[in-house]
Amino acid sequence: MSAPCPCCQADIAPAARRRGGGGRSLARKTADSIAHAVTDVLQNEELAARPGLLQRLDPRVKLLTLVLFAVTASLVHSVWLLVALIGLTIALAAACRLSVTSFQRKVWASAGLLAFLVALPSALSVFTPGEVVVSLGPLSLTEQGLMGVATLVTRVVASAGFALLVIWTMRWADLLRALSAMRMPDVVVATLAMTQKQILTLLRTVEQIHLARESRTLTLGTTRENRAWVTERMAFVVRRSIKTADDIYDAMLSRGFTGAMPSLVRLRMRARDWAWTAASVALCIAVVALDNVVGP
Amino acid sequence: MNGTDFVLRGVGHEYRAGALALAAIDLSIGCGQHVAIVGANGSGKSTLLKMLDGLVFPTLGEIVAFGVPLTEDALQDPAFRRDFRSRVGFVFQEADVQLFCSDVRDELAFGPLQLGLPEDEVRDRVRDVAAQLRIEKLLERPPYSLSGGEKKRVAIACIITMQPHVLLLDEPTNALDPRSQVWLLDVLEDWKREGRTVVMATHDLSAAAESADRIVVLSEDHTLVADGTPDEVLAQHELLLSVNLIHEHTHRHVSTAHRHAHAHAPGADPDEAHGHRRD
Repeated sequence: MSAPCPCCQADIAPAARRRGGGGRSLARKTADSIAHAVTDVLQNEELAARPGLLQRLDPRVKLLTLVLFAVTASLVHSVWLLVALIGLTIALAAACRLSVTSFQRKVWASAGLLAFLVALPSALSVFTPGEVVVSLGPLSLTEQGLMGVATLVTRVVASAGFALLVIWTMRWADLLRALSAMRMPDVVVATLAMTQKQILTLLRTVEQIHLARESRTLTLGTTRENRAWVTERMAFVVRRSIKTADDIYDAMLSRGFTGAMPSLVRLRMRARDWAWTAASVALCIAVVALDNVVGP
Repeated sequence: MNGTDFVLRGVGHEYRAGALALAAIDLSIGCGQHVAIVGANGSGKSTLLKMLDGLVFPTLGEIVAFGVPLTEDALQDPAFRRDFRSRVGFVFQEADVQLFCSDVRDELAFGPLQLGLPEDEVRDRVRDVAAQLRIEKLLERPPYSLSGGEKKRVAIACIITMQPHVLLLDEPTNALDPRSQVWLLDVLEDWKREGRTVVMATHDLSAAAESADRIVVLSEDHTLVADGTPDEVLAQHELLLSVNLIHEHTHRHVSTAHRHAHAHAPGADPDEAHGHRRD
C-alpha cells in the first residue's frame, strides 16, 4: 500500500494557491492516491494470475524459497554476490512475465532509496575511518564507509526484490492458504484475511469522503481548515472501522464461525515444486559458501 | 403452513440506557411464510433481523426459535448453535461486510465447512449454487474485486450453500440495478416454492408487495403498528404516511394541483394513490 498520510497532504492547498489555483485540491489528491493504492492491490491479483515461472509453483514452496533467498542475502557480505542476487531477482521477475522496469522502480524507489539515506551518514570519516575518497568541506567520505553503504543498500534491495516477488506472484488467497498449510495459527490467518479486507473497505470509504468533499468545494481552503477537516474525518474513519469490524464478526458468527478458516483448496507438491526447492536450497548454500571464500 | 419458526413476546431492545431500537414487539412467524418487515430508516428493522439471527438479544421480552428460547446462553451450546446456524441464514444489507474470505469459492464454502459438512458435499453445493446463480466465473476472484451486483449475488450464494430453512434478508434490493432486482425477486419466488421461510427487512414497498405474503410495519417509535397481507397493509395510506413509508407530493399542472401518495405498489389503483383538486 502506498497511500500517503492525509495529514501530510494538508499543505498541498496553499502550494496550489501559490501556483495560481491550478494545482489539485487536497481532496482530489488524496482520493487519487487512495484509488491508486486500491488499484495496486487489484493489479497484484492480475500479475499473480500470469503464466510465469513462480506463478506455477505451489504457494508454500514459493513462500519458503523466496524467504530462504532473502535470508541468504542477509548473510552475504560480498557486494558482488549481493549484486548477483539482485540480478537473480531481475531474472526471476522477467521469467514471471513482470515488467522489469516497474519491478526495479518499485524496489529501488522504496527500499533502495530509504536504505541509502539511512546508511549514507555511516560513510563519513567521523563514523568509519579509512581512506578518504570524497571531501566536502569539513566532511569526508571514506572508501570503507562507502563499501559499507553499498553492502547495506544491495542487501536491502536484494531482500526487497525477493519479498516483492512473493507479493507480485502470489494471490492473497494462496498466501493465506500457504500460511495455513504451514501450521500458522487460524487466528493469525483469520486476522490477516480480515485486515486486508478492512484496509480495502476503509480505503474506499476514505476515497468517497474525499470525493464527496471535492464535489462540494469551491475554494481550496486554508491549511488550518484542511488539517481540522482531515483530523475530524480520521476520527470518523476510526469509528467506522470499529463498526465495520463488529459487522464482519457478526456476519462470521451468523455463518457458524468456530474460530477456524477452512478452505476447499488442497495444496499439492508436484515434481516442479520439488525441483525448484532443491535448486533454490543448493544455490543458497553455494552463495553462502562462496561468500566465505570471497569475503566482503 | 406447519408450525411456527419464531415467536416474539414483548420483545424490546435498548442499545444503551434510553437509546431504544425496538419496543414491545409481539410477532409470530410461521414456517414457510414470506414476511416483509417495512419501516422508515432507524425504525428497528435491522435490529429485529439480527435478533432473529441470534446476533443481538432482547433487553425485554423473549424470542423462541423452533420451539426453544433463543438466548445468548443457549447459543453457547455447540449442538444448539450448530443446529440454529444451519437452519437460519442472514444476508446482510452491505454485501461487503459479509464477504470476508480470500476468494469467492472459499466464501461459498465457509458456512458449510463451519457446520462440519464433508468436503465432497461442500464442493457439490458450491458447484451447484454457483451454477444456479450464474457466478461460476467469479469463483477464483477475490470478493473485493467484484461489482456491487456481483457482491450481492455472492452474498446470497454463500447463504444458499448452507441450505437454511429460514432466510433473513436486510434491504435485499438496496443498491441493485433493475435487472438484478428482478433476478432477486425470482430467487425469492423459488424459495417460496421450496417452502423456505423468508423474512425481509425493507423500505421498498414495491419489493415487499411483490414477494411477501405478509407485511409487518414498524413505526418510527420502534413499535409494530400493522401486520397483515400486502393488500390490507398497503391500502392503509394514512398509516403508511404516519410511519414515513410514503409521502405526499403536490405539484401544479396549469390550474390543477396533483397530490401523489408515493407508494409505488404494483397493482395499486392509481385513482386511490393520487388525489386531484381544482383550484
